[in-house]
Amino acid sequence: MKYAFFIGCTMAYRLPFAEKSIRMVAPHFDIELVDLPFTCCPEPSGVRSFSDDTWLVFAARNIALAEEKGLDILTACAGCHESLSMAKHELDTKPERKSLANEHLSAVDLEYKGTSSVIHLHQVFHDKLGAEEISKKVETPVIMRVVTHSGCHLLRPEEILQVDSSEAPVKFDKLVEILGMEPLEYMDKTMCCGAGVRGQASDISFSILKEKLDSMAMVNPDAAVVFCPTCFISFESGQRIVNRMFGTEFKIPVYYYTELLAVAMGLPEVEEFLAGHRVKPDFPLVHKSAAEQQVQPENTTSQ
Amino acid sequence: MTDESQKRIEELREAAKPCFQCGICSSSCPVFRVAPEVNPRLAIDAVVSTGELTEEGNEWLCAYCLMCDQRCPMGVSLTDILIGLKNLSAAEGNAPFNITKAVESFFTIGVIAPGTTGVERKRNKLGLPEIPKPDPEQIKILFEGTGGLEILEKNLAKESLAE
Repeated sequence: MKYAFFIGCTMAYRLPFAEKSIRMVAPHFDIELVDLPFTCCPEPSGVRSFSDDTWLVFAARNIALAEEKGLDILTACAGCHESLSMAKHELDTKPERKSLANEHLSAVDLEYKGTSSVIHLHQVFHDKLGAEEISKKVETPVIMRVVTHSGCHLLRPEEILQVDSSEAPVKFDKLVEILGMEPLEYMDKTMCCGAGVRGQASDISFSILKEKLDSMAMVNPDAAVVFCPTCFISFESGQRIVNRMFGTEFKIPVYYYTELLAVAMGLPEVEEFLAGHRVKPDFPLVHKSAAEQQVQPENTTSQ
Repeated sequence: MTDESQKRIEELREAAKPCFQCGICSSSCPVFRVAPEVNPRLAIDAVVSTGELTEEGNEWLCAYCLMCDQRCPMGVSLTDILIGLKNLSAAEGNAPFNITKAVESFFTIGVIAPGTTGVERKRNKLGLPEIPKPDPEQIKILFEGTGGLEILEKNLAKESLAE
């Protein structure tokens, strides 16, 4: 599988360690990632709120770049995924919007055709590879009780994105189960992390986050697992701000799915990206036995 | 207000009309849950009657979680209506400061969440590839051509007046 890799601003510039985990696991599943000169997706709260046309045309430009290479787009961020998918849906279903985009794109020698699809890593792992392929790679199960958070922009609008059920998502839970974790059901599983209004109304944003964290904490998880870098930052950095604002004591480690996948696969150098985390678990994530397995290379016997 | 804005407001009113005030949007809204003064059901009612919100600027408090859209039994997209209102607000130069800054960053480098200093070093250390940069000239042509630049300049001008 070869994809145009849409890393997204947040992952590339704020969570490079999570990006590292994606690039580490990808070759093991025969996924080839191609980097292209994309702009921001663009993100709906910023660019789209300014001008719907500007948003549509830049999204069309991003997709057109992948089309030129004959590649589908692979997203890592729920926000990018929703934005590009919604733009694609508009471009493919409203001829007048497509002509508008192409009118502008012709000025930079590009054309939106509609030949590339947009797929998120969540879908690649669950729908394309599936439990069987993933479990083949699991060397050292990660034993934890976790809450999963798919993220608003992977779930809604369900009819267009078709990633999972918007009200009762189950696929992410299956994905963590394959790695050895116990997914916990919790009350506000599909609720927003509050990121959307953080810049313009931080009090509202962190109050939303507190509600969400309260709901997670009720089931006493060892960690939260996400598929979106923006949600990651909300939960990880955000819980420290919530603790300051509300006098709470949240201490929930947060992981992007492929980080835990890399750990479960027993890949070397996982400590390198785990070191980037701000809330660390109070138990060893990489078990001794796994670490020992890493330093007992077969090549000493094979040589 | 321009004729075009007036026309847009009429379109938004039309889009809001199927609403019968059941309130599932409010009970689904994370913002309403913590800030009851921001009420989606009343917001849509105001749009139907006047084409705008009672509290100016409240359109910018939508977290864009899309829960209301997903659950609306009448298929009304409050999120889209609010994006329409945000576009009108931005066209008047009334976008919130952080949004203006993000859009300015997008126009300058094509990225809205640039890293802190040292992120390139961090990427290097992790052995991550350099990210191909979009051509600034291409960004300029598309941003200006779609009207983004005019809106950005209007908002930046308002900011500098306020300072």
